[in-house]
Amino acid sequence: MAHLTREDILRLASLAKINLDDDEIASMQTDLDSVLEYVEQLKDVDTSELEPTNQVTGLKNVMRNDEIIDYGMSQEALLANVPEVENNQIKTKRVL
Amino acid sequence: MAKVPQNIRDQYTVTIGIECHVQLKTRTKLFSGISNDARDADPNTLISHICMGLPGALPVVNAHAIELASRAAFALKSVPAPFSTFDRKHYFYPDLPMGYQITQFYDPIVIGGEVHTLVEGEPHTVRITRAHLEADAGKSSHPAGAPYSLVDLNRAGTPLLEIVSEPDIHSPAEARAYAHELYLLMKYADVSDADLFHGNMRFDVNVSVSKSSELGTRTETKNLNSFKSVEKAAEYEINRQISLIERGDKIDQETRGWDEASQKTTSQRGKEQAHDYRYMPDPDLPPIELSDDFIAHVKDTLPTMPDEWREHLSRLSLDTSQIDVLLEAEVDNSAVAYLSILQDNLDDTAYAKQLANWFVNIEIPYRKDEAKNPQILNPQRPTLYAVVYKMVKANKLSSTAAKNLIQLLLDLENLPNDLESFAESKGLVQVSNTDELEVIVDTVIAENKQAVEDIQNGEMKALGFLVGQMMKLSHGKANPSIAQELLKKKILS
Repeated sequence: MAHLTREDILRLASLAKINLDDDEIASMQTDLDSVLEYVEQLKDVDTSELEPTNQVTGLKNVMRNDEIIDYGMSQEALLANVPEVENNQIKTKRVL
Repeated sequence: MAKVPQNIRDQYTVTIGIECHVQLKTRTKLFSGISNDARDADPNTLISHICMGLPGALPVVNAHAIELASRAAFALKSVPAPFSTFDRKHYFYPDLPMGYQITQFYDPIVIGGEVHTLVEGEPHTVRITRAHLEADAGKSSHPAGAPYSLVDLNRAGTPLLEIVSEPDIHSPAEARAYAHELYLLMKYADVSDADLFHGNMRFDVNVSVSKSSELGTRTETKNLNSFKSVEKAAEYEINRQISLIERGDKIDQETRGWDEASQKTTSQRGKEQAHDYRYMPDPDLPPIELSDDFIAHVKDTLPTMPDEWREHLSRLSLDTSQIDVLLEAEVDNSAVAYLSILQDNLDDTAYAKQLANWFVNIEIPYRKDEAKNPQILNPQRPTLYAVVYKMVKANKLSSTAAKNLIQLLLDLENLPNDLESFAESKGLVQVSNTDELEVIVDTVIAENKQAVEDIQNGEMKALGFLVGQMMKLSHGKANPSIAQELLKKKILS
């Protein structure tokens, strides 16, 4: 099996929007490698006869009518855990 | 940017594909029972734990969105997929609270399809790759000068149908025609309000140019919200890309934005990264299976589509531009039902043709005129037109008088019981009565000796002049053809 490179880890980190220092990159490389190796075992299972598994619940067509639902949650409650609010808008680091 | 000379442009093949996001006409969001009408709502008033992606919130599909997407499938000359699923598309952006968008990646609700357009009278077919349901993101704004952005999640979770075309479009005019036809289709299928001004339809235009049979590098210009900007942006990109290639430069595969003010596309590379959406089936959302009965029901209840209207009306041999005006006007105001009135009168081709002309030349422009305020809607309009037509046939109305009468009547709250006496009271009924006209004929002959002499000498164009005099004396009410007959008879016998 091909091993994860430093570049692979940096790319994953950027996709996950996390910063890693050099030590963390090194340990991630080893840790994720062993995770991949473990999961690799699945390749040995013959799945040629199986339908793709979209769901494990066996449910289908779980739908609701197109009607307004009162979930009993106020705007205040919903915004309570937002770190910073301005005029009821959620403040974030500037994008664009 | 200087326009590429035509002889250079002709060496290139243009390839365009369009993705269109259509906002579905539901009352509530795709996965939560929260109102979908964010137009006038204050920020973050139409939200829930589901829209905010709070831990433990369970999205549940809006059944009506499934029905509308199924209807769209037929509008696109496809069929709804009996089996479809929802997937997570992962990326980070502040207006996407869950860190992923719920969309349909692996098994979309529409696969394949076709859209037929006419470009300068030539029929074109654009194949549809797929159409899938997805939840819209929120709206971020960037206050000028402030070091932060603001996010409003009212729009988060609004149901969208993303319609993806094959790269079957080869000119800006074709791109515009495709966008416009999609609009008519979504409107006629009653899938969307298709209000472009409010962003109900947004187009992403992928353009590439190539001198060889291989496709060139494409750019994607995102979020166009008018047919005109679709056409202009495609035109701009074609020009820009050919100029770059001719200069020996390369095209970057990138996302671009359209700047309406400068009529240019600009690179948005700044926030672009290599895409890796890590799609995965959404375990919160069980698959959708549509029964044969449901699919048949959607098909049977599909309203008449633009193509079918064109087919129905073909026996009137109207200009395609006239038909387009009718199709469009019907969209603007369904309470006037131009098309179904025509449909009801197709057996009388002459009348139906006249009706179409009156709609296109009188009523539609009249209703568009903001200074006017026409009141009459259905079911009174068929009566109005039937009576006016009868009066025209009986030579009681000139075509100008018919136009004036139609406009007068449209402004009333209710049609008068006796339309003929109403027309008469407004001085619109033309005089066809020979006795009345003879008096005027005598006056005109007496007052225009020279013209009469000319006619006697065979100069028939003087006759037109005399008819004009009769119209003047009768204040436009003389029936011109009868007037002409009478004049001829008197002068030449």
